Formats: sequence, C-alpha cells, structure tokens
Amino acid sequence: MRAIAAANLRLLMSLLLASSSILPTTPAAADAPVAATAAPTATRDRVIVGLQLEPPTLDPTESPAAAISEVLYGSVYEGLVRFAPDGGAQASLAESWDVSPDGLTYLFRLRKGVRFSDGTPFDAETAKFTLDRVIAPGSINPQRTRLAALAAVDVVDDHTLRLRLARRSGGLLQSLAGSAFVMLSPSSIATDGQRPVGTGPFRFAAWRRGDSIELSRNPAYWGGAVQLAGLSFRFIADPTAAYAALMAGDIDLFSNYPAPESFAQFAHDSRFVVFVGPSEKETVLGLNHRRAPLANLLVRRAISLALDRRAIVDGAMFGLGTPIGSHFPPTNPAYVDLTGRYPHDVTAAKALLKKAGYPDGLSLILKLPPPAYARRSGEIVAAQLAQAGIRVTLQDLEWAQWLDEVFTRHDFDMSIVAHAEPLDYDIYGRDDYYFGYVSAEFKALLAALEQTADPGQRIPLLHAVQEKLADDAVNGFLFQLPWLCVWDARLQGQVLDGVLDIVDFSRAHFVPGTPPRGVAADPGALGDAGAGSGWVVDGAIACLLGVVGLVVLAGRRLGISYLGGRLLMLLLTLAFASLVVFTLVQIVPGDPAHFMLGLQADPQAVAILRHRLGLDTTVWQRYLDWIAGLAHGDFGTSYTYRIPVGALLVERLQVSVPLAAYALMLTIFAALPIGLAGAASRGRPGSALLSGLTQLGLAIPNFWLGLLLILVFAIDLRWIAAGGFPGWQSGLWAGLKALTLPAIALATPQAAVLARVLQGALVDSLHEDYIRTARAQGSGEWRILWRHALPNAAIPALTILGMQFSFLLAGGVIIENVFFLPGIGRLVFQAIAQRDLIVVQSVVMVLIFTVVAVTFCVDIAYALADPRIRARARGS
Amino acid sequence: MKIARRRIGFLAGVVITTLFIAIAALAIVWTPYDPAAIAIVHKLQPPSALHWLGTDQLGRDELSLLMAGAKASVGVAFLAVLIGAGCGIPLGLLAAARPRTIDELVMRGNDLLFAFPSLLLAILLTAVLGPGAWVAVVAIGVFNIPVLARVTRAAALRIWTLDYCLAARAAGKGAALISWEHVLPNILPILAVQLTIQFSLGIVAEAGLSYLGLGVQPPAPSWGHMLGDAQTLTAIAPSLAVIPGATIVCFVLGLNLLGGGLRARRAA
Repeated sequence: MRAIAAANLRLLMSLLLASSSILPTTPAAADAPVAATAAPTATRDRVIVGLQLEPPTLDPTESPAAAISEVLYGSVYEGLVRFAPDGGAQASLAESWDVSPDGLTYLFRLRKGVRFSDGTPFDAETAKFTLDRVIAPGSINPQRTRLAALAAVDVVDDHTLRLRLARRSGGLLQSLAGSAFVMLSPSSIATDGQRPVGTGPFRFAAWRRGDSIELSRNPAYWGGAVQLAGLSFRFIADPTAAYAALMAGDIDLFSNYPAPESFAQFAHDSRFVVFVGPSEKETVLGLNHRRAPLANLLVRRAISLALDRRAIVDGAMFGLGTPIGSHFPPTNPAYVDLTGRYPHDVTAAKALLKKAGYPDGLSLILKLPPPAYARRSGEIVAAQLAQAGIRVTLQDLEWAQWLDEVFTRHDFDMSIVAHAEPLDYDIYGRDDYYFGYVSAEFKALLAALEQTADPGQRIPLLHAVQEKLADDAVNGFLFQLPWLCVWDARLQGQVLDGVLDIVDFSRAHFVPGTPPRGVAADPGALGDAGAGSGWVVDGAIACLLGVVGLVVLAGRRLGISYLGGRLLMLLLTLAFASLVVFTLVQIVPGDPAHFMLGLQADPQAVAILRHRLGLDTTVWQRYLDWIAGLAHGDFGTSYTYRIPVGALLVERLQVSVPLAAYALMLTIFAALPIGLAGAASRGRPGSALLSGLTQLGLAIPNFWLGLLLILVFAIDLRWIAAGGFPGWQSGLWAGLKALTLPAIALATPQAAVLARVLQGALVDSLHEDYIRTARAQGSGEWRILWRHALPNAAIPALTILGMQFSFLLAGGVIIENVFFLPGIGRLVFQAIAQRDLIVVQSVVMVLIFTVVAVTFCVDIAYALADPRIRARARGS
Repeated sequence: MKIARRRIGFLAGVVITTLFIAIAALAIVWTPYDPAAIAIVHKLQPPSALHWLGTDQLGRDELSLLMAGAKASVGVAFLAVLIGAGCGIPLGLLAAARPRTIDELVMRGNDLLFAFPSLLLAILLTAVLGPGAWVAVVAIGVFNIPVLARVTRAAALRIWTLDYCLAARAAGKGAALISWEHVLPNILPILAVQLTIQFSLGIVAEAGLSYLGLGVQPPAPSWGHMLGDAQTLTAIAPSLAVIPGATIVCFVLGLNLLGGGLRARRAA
C-alpha cells in the first residue's frame, strides 16, 4: 500500500515538475500586469487606419491618385479653403474672403501665425507660390483645368491675397478646396513627394514603402494640438487580409473596406461600428474612344445595353451601391436618373452591334486596377458582354501599371475604375483625358456652366450635361461606389467627410481605458513596450527553476552519466536545428537591405545598412554571431519593425504560452475521464460509443473545428467574439474568454489521441497479476482503475503528452491564424509576408528550443516515474 | 459481436478510402464543371439539380472544387508518404541490422528530425522558396521519415531475434540481404498500418498548410484553401466552411478505420 502510494506521489511530483515547465506561476501572473505598467490607466493614443491603395507619391500636385488625399489631405496638407459637408467651401488657411461684383476678383484674408512643419511661415507669398505653380505653363498639376480661369495672383500684404480671373468661374471656391491646391512651402517643394511638409494637425514621420505611412502630432498646429499622438496608415488591398486585420485588432479603422461580403458580420458585432455612406465616386467602365470599334456610337450603346447594373452591384458589391446612368453622384440635388436610358437588353445590344458592322461580335481587352470592386466588377462585366457577342480578355494591373498604361499612355480598350474627385464631369471636356472623348456640344455646356454660379441656371445645365453623356454612351456607367468603413467602437470623435471620402481625425480619440497596442502591432508606439511583460519574465524564471529542480532530482536518482547523455543529446539537437534554420534562411535569394530601403535606394545607404545588418561578413561569422546573440538573449533586430526581436517575442508569448497551457489542461481533463470510462466499459455498448467519439475527434482538423466553433458560438449564438484578443490588461477573465474557443479547437484532436492511448494502456495493465489480486481482495472496478491501473498506464500516456506538446505548439500557429490571436504564430506569418527573415529565424529557433526542452523534461520525468528505466539507467 | 463490429469498421474504411482515391483519380480527367470557371452571377447558390453542392463566392461549382481538391490532397499526402517510406524504411532496417553505434546514430538523427514539426519546416521552406505544393510535400515527407524509421526499426528488431535470421547470419549471409529477404517481407503488414496512418496525417497536414496559404497555390483548388476563403463568408454562407471540412473528416475517418482494421486483422 505504502509503496503504491509512494509511487503515486512520485508520479504526481514528476507530473507537476514536468507541467511547471509549461505553466507560469499564478501569483506572478496576477501581480505583474499592474506592477509592470508605469501608467495603469494609459489609453491608446495612436490610430491605425487601413487603406486599400498606397499613394505612389506624397505630393498631390504630381499625381491624381486619390490615395494621396486619403492619407494627407486635412492631416498634413491644408488649402485656403476646405470642403463643407454640403460640398461648398469653408474657411481653412483663409479666414474670410470677398468676391467682387463682377466675379473677376477674389480677395482672401489669410490666417496669421501659421507655420509649416519645417518652420517656414505660411503667408501670402507661399500662397502665391503654390497657386502660381498650378497655373504656370507646363504645370503638371492634375487639377489645373479647374483653375483655368485664374489669370494672376497678387500679394497685397503679408496676409492678404488677391486672385484675378480672366473670366467668371462659378465653381472657383469649391475648386480651391480641391486636394491638388493645398498650400506648399517653397523650401520643401522638391522633396514633398517623399517627405511632405504641410500646415496641418499632423506631421509626416515615416514612409515604409509597401507597408505603411506614419504621421505624428504637430504640437504647433494653429488649431491647437490634437488628442491623438499619431496616425498610421496600413495598405491592405486583399479582402481576406483586411477582414483578418480588423478582427485581430491590428487596424482601428478601415476606410473603403474591400470585403462587402463580411460587412454584415461587423454590423452585428458590438465591438465594431459600420458605416455605409454615399460618395462622389462614380464607378465607370471607361472606353477608349481612340480605338476603332469604340469610336462608333452604336458599339458604345450596345455595350451599355449589354450591361446589367443591378447584377454587377449584387455580384461585386453584395448589394451595396447605387446604379448610375451617367457621370454624376445620386446624392447631388442636380442628379437625374438616367439608368433607364439603356436598360439591360442583350437582344437589342446584338442588333446594334450588327448594325454597326460587327455581326460576329468583337474582341476587347479590359484592364483592371487592384481594388476589389474593380476586379470583381470586371469578372461580371466580361461575362455580361460575352452574352452580347463581345469577347473580353481580362488583365489585372498593379496601380502603378494602371496609371502608366491606361491613364497616361492610353494603351487600353476598356477599364473599370471609380472616379473619386467630386463633380468631375469636366473631365469629359478634356481631349487628353484617358477616354479620348471629344465633343464640341459638351464643351459648350461646360463653358455655360462656368459663366454662372446661380443654382437656378446651373441645375438645368447640369441636367443637360448628364443627358449628353448618357446619349453619347461615352462610357458604361456602372454604380456609385459606396464608402464602406468599419471601425473599432472605442474610437470616437472622427468625422467622416462624404465629399472626399476622407476621415478627419483632428478630434478623434479612444474611449479612456482602451489598452495601448504592443510594439509588434504598432512599432510607432515604442514607448508603450513593456506593459504587462513582467509576468512573462517571471514565468520564464519559474519554468527555469522547475527544470533545474527536475534536472537535480534526475541527477540524484538516475545517475550523472544518464543525465549527462541526455543533456548532450539536447545540446546536439539544438545545434543541428540552429544550423538547419540558419542555412535555410540564408540561402534566400535577394538582398534584405535592398528590400528594406526600396528599389530606388541610394547605393551608399544600402551599403551602410548591409554593414549594420552584418551582411558583409562571412557566413560562418554571421552564424556564430547569431548563436552568441541567442545565448545572451539577443535575438537580433527585426528588419521591418526596426526593434529587437526579443521585445516582439516577449509580447507575443503572452498569448501563445497561456493558449498552449490552457489547451494542455483541457486535453488532460478531457482524456482522463474518457480513457478511464473506455477501459471500464470495455466489451459493453458504451465502449463502442466512446470509441466512435475518439475516432471522430482524431479525424477532425483542429482549424476546421475552430471555424465551426466560431460559426456556432460567435456568429449564431453571439456568446463570444469571433476572434481577436483584448489583451491581458482588460482582465484575466476577458483574456481567458478569448482563448477558450481556440483552446478547445487545439485540445480536441489531442484529447482523442491521449484518451485512446490511455485506454489502451489501462486495458493492458488490467491483465496484470496485481489487478487480479486487488479484485480478489474485493476492490471495486473504479478503485482498481484509479489506484492500480492508472499509475502504470500513465507512463506511456506521459510520453505521448510530451510529444503532443510539440503538436500543440505547431497547432497553435494555425489556430492563432484562425482566431486572429496576436501570438507567435501570427508573428511568424506576418514576418514571412514581409520577408523579415531575422524574425522568422529567431522565432522558429525559439519554438524548436521549447519543443526540444519539453521533450527532454518529459524524458527525465518518464525515467523518474518508471522504476524499470531508473534501474536500467543506474545500471548502465 | 466484437469481431463483427471490427469487421464493419474495416469494411467501411476500405470503402471510404477507395471511394476518395477513385474520385481523386477521376478528377484528373473529368469534373462536372471546370473548377476554375468563375461566374459571379451564379455565386453562393444553394444545392440544386444543376450544382449538387451549390456554388462558392465566385460562382464555381462546389462539387467540382471538392473533387479537384481531392486530387491535390491525395497527391501531396501520397508523395509525402513515398518520401517517408523511401528514406525511413531503409534507415530503420539499417538501424536494426547494424551494430550499436549506427543504431544510435540513426536514432539520434531521428530525434533531431522530430524537433521540426512539419508546420515549422513548411514555414521555413516557404520563407525561402515561396509557397507551393512541392514545399508542402517536402515538409510533410521529411516529418514522415523519423516516424517510419522508428516503426521499422522496432518491428525489424523483433524479427532479427527469430531463429531463421540468426541461422542465416551464422551461415554468413550479409545483413543487407537478410533485411531484404527475410525481415522486410515479415514487417510489411506493420508498415502497411503505419503508412495508412501517415497518409491520413498527411491529408490533414496538407489541408492545414493550404489553409494558411503555404501549400497548393490558387487557382489550383485545395480543401484547405477553400476553408480559408470561406472564413470571411461564414456569416452569409456557412455551408462553404462546413462542406470541405466535413469532406476531410470523412476521408481521414475512412483511412483511420482502414488502418485500425488492418492492425486488428494482423493481430487476429
């Protein structure tokens, strides 16, 4: 009896010691988050905004890309006036203005005491400089035709500006609010494309090409410093990645959200706020009038007849969006609905094509820019035109390619893009615009519009403009692109400007108590690092102590030679693994330094960076440096985040380790009763049921189970959020709740394996003599199982458990991606996407080290628990 | 009663496995619709006479996608098992046949390989070579090697203790010849069971890698990738997330029943 009790005790001890290698100590966990944060009530003060498209340059006077304004208009750059919510003009850098009775002279009184972020004062001279650039001959300003009526700009005094017009221009004030007329400083004009300098509430901080743009607060802003410390813009065009980023909390607000299919899901999730706004963006199937078939009015009308706008909106935009019949936003009071001009009629389309001289149809190429609405609409348009006999070939282009091929060189047949500029019907009056539409009657209409600012006269003219465009079937007018935004409900005070589809963050702030992001998610917030990391270090120390205790016990019980052999094995395994990892990572083609700095980087800067990264030393030197660094806890510096990988790891481990521990606990608590019940009920109907259960558990992929759990508990029942991790600062319970579904998904297949092994081992041991003796003594079945069979069956189970830990870690990588948890798994994946090989190298090494260390501990515990192995070890 | 139940399990396993492999083979030459045929006008349709399992978010026929996905899964898992068997079995035979030092070497090498779960290896390879079906094959295959080596060694060791092997050895027959002629044929049944298990593990591993975007690349269909796409659509089209997963479960269940049945037959 005593021997058995002692055996159980030893077993329990070794289990505890083995599991202490994995679990952090609770007291440290409970205390440290409060102790470690310097400011316990710190609130997030940086907003991360998601956008689909990255601007090609940061100077809006160089390029028409709407992305430039999305990032910089109103935040960094400001103009004399800005758009009011109704589309009119309101004061910005100009405080007030007078217009002469004949409409040919405008006098602006400029704000005093305004400076650019580089210190240059803003005054009438700089304003004159900016506007002169626009109207100068040879100007490449994309909106220069809006100011075609401007003849000259005069400086009256330091803060008064006079504009003299050659003719009346009804829309001049609105035009001046345009994004291409923001005030620029002569001192920075040459570099505004890379380092914009403006007068706005934020100043430019950094541009990581292909990834993000950082802005920081301008403390000297004339309107008073804003609440946010910084803005960060991340570029994500892929719908699935955008969804993942929002769910994971990587993004606070997404403007122009590209995945309308998941919009409904956010609408039902109380963590998010959704916004469907009208916009001034007309999505248009642009036709190149310079190409022979498209110059023919009948062909263009046939194309319009072949289109089914409702189907395009349903298919590409999941019903979000309003069909349009001409180039005008439905929200404008002057809009006239011309969608009925060309109703969907394939037969009529074919007849027109025949009449135009194309009885067998024709072939056209449709070039598409990256945004999701364009790619999806393109698929549908191609299918619809095919029904009318027009064979369409699709070509997907990157944004820069599109600007070059379609917009600049006019090398295209058809293209789909949303036109973002408000009230930009004037593009149809420009011969050199990419459509190549030339019409004297249209130009006459535009000229008439210029003459008057009186709405009573403008509205009929605007009607005529729309009808002319529809009559001539200039383009295939598809739909007004809705402005879809999703944001974190804790972000408040932002103003959504529906005219330019720009979010104004000057009064934005987070609800107090919103936890700041960690460094991995928001490298701009380096100061927040270390919050809550105290317990990870405490936990690591506790684990180390546990392992040392285990090793000492093993040394005493098993003998030094056995222990020495196992330790040597451990070190050899680690050395080999590190070689493999290092080799694989180093043979990657391409130069990391070039990748980090961009293709046009200065060779000298590249050389300096290569030296800093240690790329100019020999391979062996690099390997040894890396190993030496690992031994010191220096895991290198991340390429993309420019911060130590150690800091990233500490942060991410706060999620991955508790998840693995939680899953391990669930595995044991599920497998134990099932294994015992299976052994107890063998030969009876119950055992078939249990066997079927475990078979099923084995067959279910853990990530699919995760998806199912999300489907049932998050989407159908709405008990739990469908992913994401609120951070331990939100409380232990909140964190555990977020980890529950992932832990269940991880644990289920493992529990099935463990249960089967346990059952098999139990059944085997039930045939032993001592069991028969116990039965003869009158012990009940369950007592026999628990006191006699289990300690012996636990040994093979323990081995499996140790192996399972490595599967848990690997499985954790997948599960973190299913549930958008900010753990090591997602870190590795983001690093791969960004080609940040230092992070990949070091994180994989940490994972392997953990697996090997746990296997080592389990081997030791196994040897301690099994007297036979102990004897063999001591004997050998 | 017990024997009959085991028999049913084995038969079910045989039927399911053959069915899936046959479908995968069929998919090479024919599927009801072209799995790549995008038709957004027909997207997200429920099962109907035209599309037995409905259509996905781009209007592609779900059944055709599943069949083509079977091709990818079976292909990758099979090649991975080949790698594992081709390297692992000879290693195991070597370890069992040779004196202690080589045995130790092979076993330690095994432990080293065990330190790299297939997912970690796939991640590394992807970072270097870029994602693709071949990366998945290598990653899964490499992890099969130590498992098969270990099983082969354990089984071969038992055969080596038998009389006729010892007799052959005494007669001067080389260890390699003995392994080939006597040991291997006798351990084949055990290996068959293990190969089935590794195949089913390979199916799940391939699905996991494809789900993460590391395996078979689009537009080639794969079950894991279908699950990945379905994630943003779970609110409006839950069946897209359920069907590919259920297919995986069926296939793996069939394979596990087959393996279990083979093991039982051998023991009986």
